[in-house]
Amino acid sequence: MAITKENRFGFGRGIRVDALFRILFGSAVVVAGILLAGVVLSMVVSSLPVWNIQTPLSFVFGDRWAGEVTQPDGSVVGNYGAFAVIWGTVVSALIAILIAAPVGILAAVYLVEFAPRRLAAPLTFLVELMAAIPSVVIGLWAAGDLSIRLRDSVEWWVASTLGRIFPWLAEDPEAPAAQSVFRAGMVLAIMIIPMVVAISREVIRSVPQSLREGFIGMGATRWETIRHVVLPAARVGLTGAVLLALGRAVGETIAVTMVIGNAEGIPSSLFLPGQTIASKIASNYAEASTPTETGALAALGICLFAVTFLLSLAIRLLVRRAARGGGQAS
Amino acid sequence: MSLLRFTAADLVKAPSGRDARRRRADRFMRGIMFVTAAIAVVPLIGLILYIITNGLPFLTSQLIVNSPLDIEPGISNAIIGSLQLTIASIILAAPVGIAGGVYLNEFASPRVSSAGELLIDVMLGTPSIIAGLFAFLVVVPALGFSGYAAIVALSVLMIPIVMRTTQEVIRLVPAGVREASLALGIPVWKTTIFVTCRTAASGLLTGVVLAVSRGLGETAPLLLTAKGTNDTEILNFGSTMNAMPIVIYRYSSSPDSLLIGQAWATALVLLVIALTLNVLVRFRTVNNRVA
Repeated sequence: MAITKENRFGFGRGIRVDALFRILFGSAVVVAGILLAGVVLSMVVSSLPVWNIQTPLSFVFGDRWAGEVTQPDGSVVGNYGAFAVIWGTVVSALIAILIAAPVGILAAVYLVEFAPRRLAAPLTFLVELMAAIPSVVIGLWAAGDLSIRLRDSVEWWVASTLGRIFPWLAEDPEAPAAQSVFRAGMVLAIMIIPMVVAISREVIRSVPQSLREGFIGMGATRWETIRHVVLPAARVGLTGAVLLALGRAVGETIAVTMVIGNAEGIPSSLFLPGQTIASKIASNYAEASTPTETGALAALGICLFAVTFLLSLAIRLLVRRAARGGGQAS
Repeated sequence: MSLLRFTAADLVKAPSGRDARRRRADRFMRGIMFVTAAIAVVPLIGLILYIITNGLPFLTSQLIVNSPLDIEPGISNAIIGSLQLTIASIILAAPVGIAGGVYLNEFASPRVSSAGELLIDVMLGTPSIIAGLFAFLVVVPALGFSGYAAIVALSVLMIPIVMRTTQEVIRLVPAGVREASLALGIPVWKTTIFVTCRTAASGLLTGVVLAVSRGLGETAPLLLTAKGTNDTEILNFGSTMNAMPIVIYRYSSSPDSLLIGQAWATALVLLVIALTLNVLVRFRTVNNRVA
């Protein structure tokens, strides 16, 4: 817009309104920015009382969440150790992603490359519908139905075979725990599979058809084409899909809280109850009455936010690299 | 999009040795991929069946009409509470999200636009419990557990959804439409609202509906803010409020079998609402894609 001078047609007024209009709309972005800054600042400021009585290092690596301890000399020392909940978060998210990444990507390949159109459309629709279900509803189903099925099938089978060799896969066959980290991971997997499928589908669809045709023309089977052409070409996009899903798994709260058991400490086996950062905040906020108790939860929030923030940054870098032509995604 | 029906490898008659192995591997992997697609869908069917069989017997008119304090308790206050909180949050979030999305696409310099996109990415990636924690740390100390705190938490979650969708649909509006309007001497602000946004109206609505559906289903941020209550007062955002997800979460761990049944019935109601909203949105998008 190079129009700067007022004139008698009244355009000037319009331009002033335009300027106001831009400021108004721009301020919406500022509001969003302030909110995000507020989210971070509120957690940092609220967590300050904790750093008065203990170090961030002892917070992250301490393995017991014991609260404040009054020393014999009268000084108060914080004894909030987040290692167990961080462990629970990482392990449940890893279980979820180890299952969801291959299943989701292969399902997406099936939908794009193999499924007849009549089957692909309804299947895609159903998968995406799953993503729309509120997590509390998934949690209710998981706690009442899925988790019991898993306990009596996969978990029992693994515990009675591998569990005899590896103590971290052991379970008492007479009295299996009512909740477990493993089951939380499985529920998370089910929740993030739709996300992996949806994004992978788009990525795989965007691989040029001529690449596939060229490889098939040389006598390759369809699986060889997928293995050697489609998946490598889609690598960057698929990585992005997995990272996004990982972020979702790390932050998921209610469904996990309903199946993981919310037990303190690091469980000796995957088939015992544990806790994640999110489930700890959700189940402890009501009892937090002193500034340090609230502060400790805020410190947990910082850990969780840091992880999801780094994941967002990583995805962005990945996408940018791909867009610049450095990656192989088209 | 599926590949050619036959590949050269399939046409080799009675392959032996290496070719037979390759063909077997192909069949095997095709089977595996079919199974993974089934794995992705089966949980949904199991979930829906489970919620319907357990929830339907408890889904009575009393459940919807009565409050938890009535002799035949219901969840009316949770349904009303969910509606109030979601509507109030979207009234705040939709204008901010739409205006921000439009600004980033239409007016922002590339640098600002890229910073804005990073902002949206980070906000979208922020777990809902963090949004709840934010309201819990900032609003709850001032106003107590309240509807206001819940609205703040939900807005933090809704704004990036609306903004991202807005940005994506505004980008699809052809430049020629704007240029034609500007060439007629129509000011930028009128062009933006009455031409650009009007053209993308159904897309903007999609973003709002997505945000509403997210808001209706969120639990963790509501637990930390609205907390849940048996009160039935309407439009009392200053005190604790009830919502359907809170009812499901709280009742599900109750020892009372009636309450557990009500949790299932509430989950059924919520499920139907969430799926309906989603199907509505999807039909729109599919139609747009075809057109």
